[in-house]
Amino acid sequence: MALQNEDKLEVGYSSLQPKPKKWVLLMLRLLAFFATAAATVVMGLNKETKTLVVATVGTTPIKATLTAKFQHTPAFVFFVIANGLASIHNLVMIMGDLFGQKLDYKGLRLAMIAILDMMTVALISGGASAAAFMAELGKNGNSHARWNSICDKYKTFCDHGGGALIASFAGLILMLIISVMSIIKLLIKPKPDSTTVVP
Amino acid sequence: MATSHEKGTFFALSYEAKYSDTPAFKFFVIANAIVTVYAFLVLFIPSESQLWGLVLALDLVFTMLLISSISAALAVAQVGKKGNSSAGWLPVCGQVTKYCNQVTGALVAGFIAIITYIILLLYSIYTFLNPLLGKNG
Repeated sequence: MALQNEDKLEVGYSSLQPKPKKWVLLMLRLLAFFATAAATVVMGLNKETKTLVVATVGTTPIKATLTAKFQHTPAFVFFVIANGLASIHNLVMIMGDLFGQKLDYKGLRLAMIAILDMMTVALISGGASAAAFMAELGKNGNSHARWNSICDKYKTFCDHGGGALIASFAGLILMLIISVMSIIKLLIKPKPDSTTVVP
Repeated sequence: MATSHEKGTFFALSYEAKYSDTPAFKFFVIANAIVTVYAFLVLFIPSESQLWGLVLALDLVFTMLLISSISAALAVAQVGKKGNSSAGWLPVCGQVTKYCNQVTGALVAGFIAIITYIILLLYSIYTFLNPLLGKNG
């Protein structure tokens, strides 16, 4: 009798517990997906063209067209790639959460999700910090190395880059929370087999 | 958990270029110094203490800090070595070769530190989770 009561209590507990957490995790993943996708798109389309008058020959000015593209800086390229991979990861996780409840590989599903989440956090943090310091260099220049700041000439480029960075940092914080929640799920989720095994 | 820790800090002080010229390098030095002190303190925690859960969480945070610091230092060092022609930034490694070499050495040490730290993190997750998973399953 006591064992049956225990089983009933455990089943009731486990069916109540994951529901609010599942929706919270899904909403966080959706937000993180939007943040990283926005960062990728904004930085990926970051381009500014400026026409400068270089010299004057007679009365006709010679114009030079200079562009600032994100591909010029390897740090920004890494930023776009890292955020793109992070959005794909989030998308795959959301799809897996919604449609793939039965997919399980030897019970390692939660461990794989936790490890992949941590890898994505590492990736985003690397990309965001590299791009942040390059952006700081572009904004303030470096007097010791005789590098001039470029933000006064390419204001829109800098603004868009800053926006993409903010989105990426928001995505990083969200991914950190998601990763911690995945690890906690790994720790406290009761295995469904344990309730049916009667010692 | 008495594995060997390697952390890389640098205090490159050439006649012209210091590490403190660039915020990215300052961040690198500070981050690696913090992790060095933390790793040293963790060596002294006794085996069965309750603090290992906190150590696991801090390990995750510090791994992320290390990765972001080396990523930033690498980005700025790459500009220093190759320059950026579209921004009109000339490479400086020609003038301060000793500084550049020391920075390269510090970055390599930082990479080794990160790889060591990732292995440490995976090992501490494994050690922490194994008894708990053994109880549940």
